[in-house]
Amino acid sequence: MSPALFSQLCALGSSLVLITGIAILWRHSLAVYIDYFARQSFVFVLVILGVAAYAGEAELYLVAAMVFLFKVMLIPRILRRVRRHVGVDLEVRPYVNVPASVALAGLLTLIAYAVTRPVVEISGLPTRAGIPLALAVVFVGLLIVVSRRSALAQIVGFLVLENGIALLAILATYGVPLIVELGAFLDVLLGFLVMQVFVYRIRETFDTIDVDRLSGLRH
Amino acid sequence: MLLVALLLLPLAAAVPALVAPRYHPSIAATSAAASGAAFLAALGLARANLRGGVPSIGPEEFLRADGLSAVLALVVSGVACVSLWFGAGYLERVRDHGGLDDARLRRFYVLTNLFVATMLLAVTANNVGVMWVAVEGTTIATAFLIGLEHSKAALEASWKYILIGSIGIALAFVGTVLGYFDFVQRVGEAPHALHWTVLARASPGLNGDVLRLAFVFILVGYGTKAGLAPMHTWLPDAHSEAPAPISAMMSGSLLVVALYAVARWKVVVDAGVGPGYAGRMLILFGLASLVLAAVLLIRQSSYKRMLAYSSVEHIGLMCLGLGLGPLGTLAALLHMIGHAASKSLAFLASGNLLEAYGSPRIASVRGVLRVLPWTGALFLVAALALLGLPPFGLFVSEVMLVRAGFLAGRPWLMGAVLALLVAIFLSFLGHLHRMLFGIPPADVRPGERRPFGLLPLGFNVAVLLALGLVVPEPLLRLLRLAAGVLRP
Repeated sequence: MSPALFSQLCALGSSLVLITGIAILWRHSLAVYIDYFARQSFVFVLVILGVAAYAGEAELYLVAAMVFLFKVMLIPRILRRVRRHVGVDLEVRPYVNVPASVALAGLLTLIAYAVTRPVVEISGLPTRAGIPLALAVVFVGLLIVVSRRSALAQIVGFLVLENGIALLAILATYGVPLIVELGAFLDVLLGFLVMQVFVYRIRETFDTIDVDRLSGLRH
Repeated sequence: MLLVALLLLPLAAAVPALVAPRYHPSIAATSAAASGAAFLAALGLARANLRGGVPSIGPEEFLRADGLSAVLALVVSGVACVSLWFGAGYLERVRDHGGLDDARLRRFYVLTNLFVATMLLAVTANNVGVMWVAVEGTTIATAFLIGLEHSKAALEASWKYILIGSIGIALAFVGTVLGYFDFVQRVGEAPHALHWTVLARASPGLNGDVLRLAFVFILVGYGTKAGLAPMHTWLPDAHSEAPAPISAMMSGSLLVVALYAVARWKVVVDAGVGPGYAGRMLILFGLASLVLAAVLLIRQSSYKRMLAYSSVEHIGLMCLGLGLGPLGTLAALLHMIGHAASKSLAFLASGNLLEAYGSPRIASVRGVLRVLPWTGALFLVAALALLGLPPFGLFVSEVMLVRAGFLAGRPWLMGAVLALLVAIFLSFLGHLHRMLFGIPPADVRPGERRPFGLLPLGFNVAVLLALGLVVPEPLLRLLRLAAGVLRP
């Protein structure tokens, strides 16, 4: 494959990861959030496989397999189970409405392009075109967390943010050293498992997972 | 060897708690003993450094304890030892009052030992990626500890903590990846490129623009975990809702472990972009934290939240110190030890207040010195130390900090800092006066519950006095070594 074609494919893959993230901001239902997160992770796996094949980095196949197993299969399955358990869908009233959040996502993408300019300039890798997009995914994940009322949607936002960071690592350096990659993966997984336990507890204690109701503690 | 012992001791102490069929007092004793032994191991590391060596183990110094790591290891294990020793009796009394059951008590010791182990790994890992993994590990280990006494408020605090903490740490990973990227672009893929020693050696040749961007993510990310304003929002909730021994460890050591991560990166950034940039950012966030603490301390109605905001203040002071050159750095390190001793003392004593008065509200606590003479005296000592009064350690470090500021040619900044410190002093003292004196509520039974349980806290008082009167010569040399590590 020619470097130019590979570079374009990377940009395309990263754009798809970003678009699936922004699509979450577009929609109102938790079930759809989870589906889009799974799709995003799937596109991400394809990007990793592409980079692994092009750069000949055997470690990345392992990373791709882990992302597929956990972020495409296992975590969405757990999220769907939690969603069924908590029942109500309260994303019909997010803090920020759809046009505003999509416009914000656009603005954040521009900011991502602006701040990553020095990174793209010095990078010699054909994957560099996707770097600003990866940072935009991080920002979109943050936006999901702060603009949604449901604890479950906030978890999805965190996972999207995590995907953005992992994508950044793949595109900027073909992945961080394996020991850090594995440790980071384990942390995300454990963090996610702890968070979903708290969703159950919040549901039991407050009868809702609307974080607006978690406001007993002030200053 | 010492390094391995340091990390394995708390891990080993988690095992009996994990496999025991039910809680037994020996589990608590093992945990306290393990962190005591870890403290001895940390002392050993400090001694090795004083003799001119830097203990390390593993390929390309995978674990490494220079002067800075040794100081942090002493703080982490020292606070853990006192907290667990005091906590053993305290938590059993909480259980006897029905606040906890045996299953949760057992879980407390599993998670607390893991918490201590992850903090110790964070300060001894040479690989900044592993350091990151360990700091994130502390979030996971402590998330369930905050809500140990299942209450609505504790649940709310835990949720904010895990969500905000995880996101903050994730942003720090962006910074780590950018730093690694910069290294790989300049030097090429090296097997140990993420090792701090390798990064620091290569840093003068790195790209300044990328390093600046990386440091923004590092500071915001780890700063969230360190409780710097404006990313502090989770801190007052988590530190006030957690059980006393966990509050003590989170305030006394976890915050500075996160700040330690920032300081490690500051060395790399300073060498790459020249001194000043990272320092200015640290001063900015430090000052913001001081302002926030000064404003919010006035209207605190809960004493544990009051202590939590005081942690924001002191982390802010340490940040300022790190931004004010070598003398400021030395002051920040001294301040870190003094703060660890006084804040853990205050939080542990506040556990006794909560037990005796049954309320976290300042308005409900009157006449502490009459009801709990020993606890009250210890709380008073901790509070006076936190206010920066002589003869306690924080007085010395604050004077040193202000001097560093004037020497660095920043009289206006120091004027602002002094004004904020006075404001904090007045509001804190007002709350303190209302709590310690006055007539106790009629339904509060006077008398210490278990005066011997207070014995471990004597260690904190001794440390505060030693730092305030004459800083012991070996400690001063160790702190100079640690400050030397942070010099670009």
